[in-house]
Amino acid sequence: MRTLLIGMIWVYQKVISPLKRPTCRYYPSCSEYALWLFSYSNFWYALLFSLRRILRCNSLFEGGIDYPIISKRITPIFGSPRLIKVWLVPLCPQKDWSAKGKFYLIKSMKVVQC
Amino acid sequence: MLDNFDKLNLQMRILIATAISLLFFIPYSYFFAPVKEAPLKESTSMERAEQQAAPQTSSSPKEGQVSSVAMAETSPSKDIIATVQGSHFRLEIDSLGRIAQVYLKDAKFLKEQKELPLLAPLSSLRPLEVRFSDATTNKEAFAKSYYSDRDLVEIRNTPETLTLTQELEGFKLTKKLTFYPDGNYDLEVETSGSQKRFFLSPGARPIAESDKFAFNGVVLKESGGTIHTTEDGDAKKDEIFEGARFVASVDRYYTTLFFVKEPQGLRVVISKNAEKNPEPFVEALDHLKLSGYIGAKDFRLLESIYPSLTDVVEYGFITFFAKPLFLLLDWLYKFCGNWGWAIVLLTLVVRIILFPLTYKGMVSMQKLKDIAPKMKEIQEKYKGDPQKLQVHMMELYKKHGANPMGGCLPLLLQMPIFFAIYRVLYNAIELKGADWILWINDLSVMDPYFILPILMGASMFLQQHLTPTTFTDPMQEKVFKFLPLIFTFFFVTFPSGLVLYWFVSNVFSIAQQLFINKTLEAKKRAAAAKPSGLSD
Repeated sequence: MRTLLIGMIWVYQKVISPLKRPTCRYYPSCSEYALWLFSYSNFWYALLFSLRRILRCNSLFEGGIDYPIISKRITPIFGSPRLIKVWLVPLCPQKDWSAKGKFYLIKSMKVVQC
Repeated sequence: MLDNFDKLNLQMRILIATAISLLFFIPYSYFFAPVKEAPLKESTSMERAEQQAAPQTSSSPKEGQVSSVAMAETSPSKDIIATVQGSHFRLEIDSLGRIAQVYLKDAKFLKEQKELPLLAPLSSLRPLEVRFSDATTNKEAFAKSYYSDRDLVEIRNTPETLTLTQELEGFKLTKKLTFYPDGNYDLEVETSGSQKRFFLSPGARPIAESDKFAFNGVVLKESGGTIHTTEDGDAKKDEIFEGARFVASVDRYYTTLFFVKEPQGLRVVISKNAEKNPEPFVEALDHLKLSGYIGAKDFRLLESIYPSLTDVVEYGFITFFAKPLFLLLDWLYKFCGNWGWAIVLLTLVVRIILFPLTYKGMVSMQKLKDIAPKMKEIQEKYKGDPQKLQVHMMELYKKHGANPMGGCLPLLLQMPIFFAIYRVLYNAIELKGADWILWINDLSVMDPYFILPILMGASMFLQQHLTPTTFTDPMQEKVFKFLPLIFTFFFVTFPSGLVLYWFVSNVFSIAQQLFINKTLEAKKRAAAAKPSGLSD
């Protein structure tokens, strides 16, 4: 289900989206936002927030930069990074690492090979 | 042009290829679509015998007995024993007490000045056909002729009754039919207390308009109000429904159906034939009383016969949205008396609804001119990195309090509307042969002179040039410039009503943008004049 949706968004971005004028009032665009969420969070959570995003993507809202937020439990591994795909930026400083924290999900502009 | 083509990147070429193949396949499938016709060949007696077998169902749901399949070996000649003449239709009854053919007489339905026959001419299940679960009785019933109490029934303004009788071994089968002027009828079947189990069919679907893009098959309303559809070629097994409100065999525009107003409903069996097409029957013991209708799926007519019947009009999976849209369109039609103008008004309504969602984006469009130099700078700086460019564009918008984008929601909202209008234009008999102005005399078919698609393309081109668009991707920009042309070809085969909707929608959006630009400019001038006036 999740793979199917990710596939559909991918097809949309490659085939349908170029056929219309850019309309999204946000960065990342609604389809990117949904794609990141579906790739890195729970299915229902991703669905809910993607829909919320689309509903907010109209003239009644400001628009601008709006990154998806995900909750995740982080297990620290100490070492040098090998590949950076996404950055998880905590909303507030995290004290207890065993608890789930909230993070902005920011895709790396380019996949960094270290 | 060809030299340029080599320079285009891979994605661009793939896109062009896709567009070209679409341009080819859409008209191709439109013109060369295999039209499904009921088989016209005369079947052998063996085949026919199988066709005339009663559906194999439990004779009573409680007892769980399975009745044997009844067979008929021979088929008597199918002479017409009675004709029913109404002002809108003509109906013929054959020697097996079935409706052999129905002709629609209204000018709208005429084909080459001839009345339109609805049913397949040969060897298909006819309306009012009776099959017995008892094999010997069934065989006998297909061998003996009915007789009618009247040869010709003429219906003026009041309902007329016709009685068909068949003498069978040990009992008499009577069908008492009361026809109404609109093409609906009441029917009472009696087997004179013989306690025989029989099946009565509303018939196989009409074949007058068997376009494969429309829904062809059986529509049934279950006791709970759910609509159950079985499409031609898709009937897998026999299905039984208790307490069904109606059962209808439909093609694109026409239907033959049974319904009851009483809450206990009908016990319906949907069987299948050799081609996997559904064959609907109503099962009964000894006697049966129901109502029926045969003719066009005209919404208001069906509503006047029995309100629940409006659900016979099937628009596919978008029905939940297409039906209210049709009602709105119908309301607008009553208001202005022409379907074309009703579509124009509908466009206006949609625009008004979407206005608050797009208004600010349109206003911000003006501010774009002020930040244009900065925009250019950014575009130069982040050439080839659309993601970074997007981020910086958003920042720039924020800094100047202007976001010229309309938003994804208004765009997304328009898609179901567009698709629902497509389905309504395609399936609503009301829009068949509906004219607009000048050369448009049928909104449900393509524009014969290609004027509307060209106008649509032109309006799209104009709209593009009126609203400055900033692209983050140069490839997208190239595709975008070709879009009006691509869409013109794409829309050529679409129903002209749909092209009309799109065209008018473009025109309204152009007018809206122009109006906003003008008022803003006037405001700006006023604002520019004021401070200088104050400083004096």
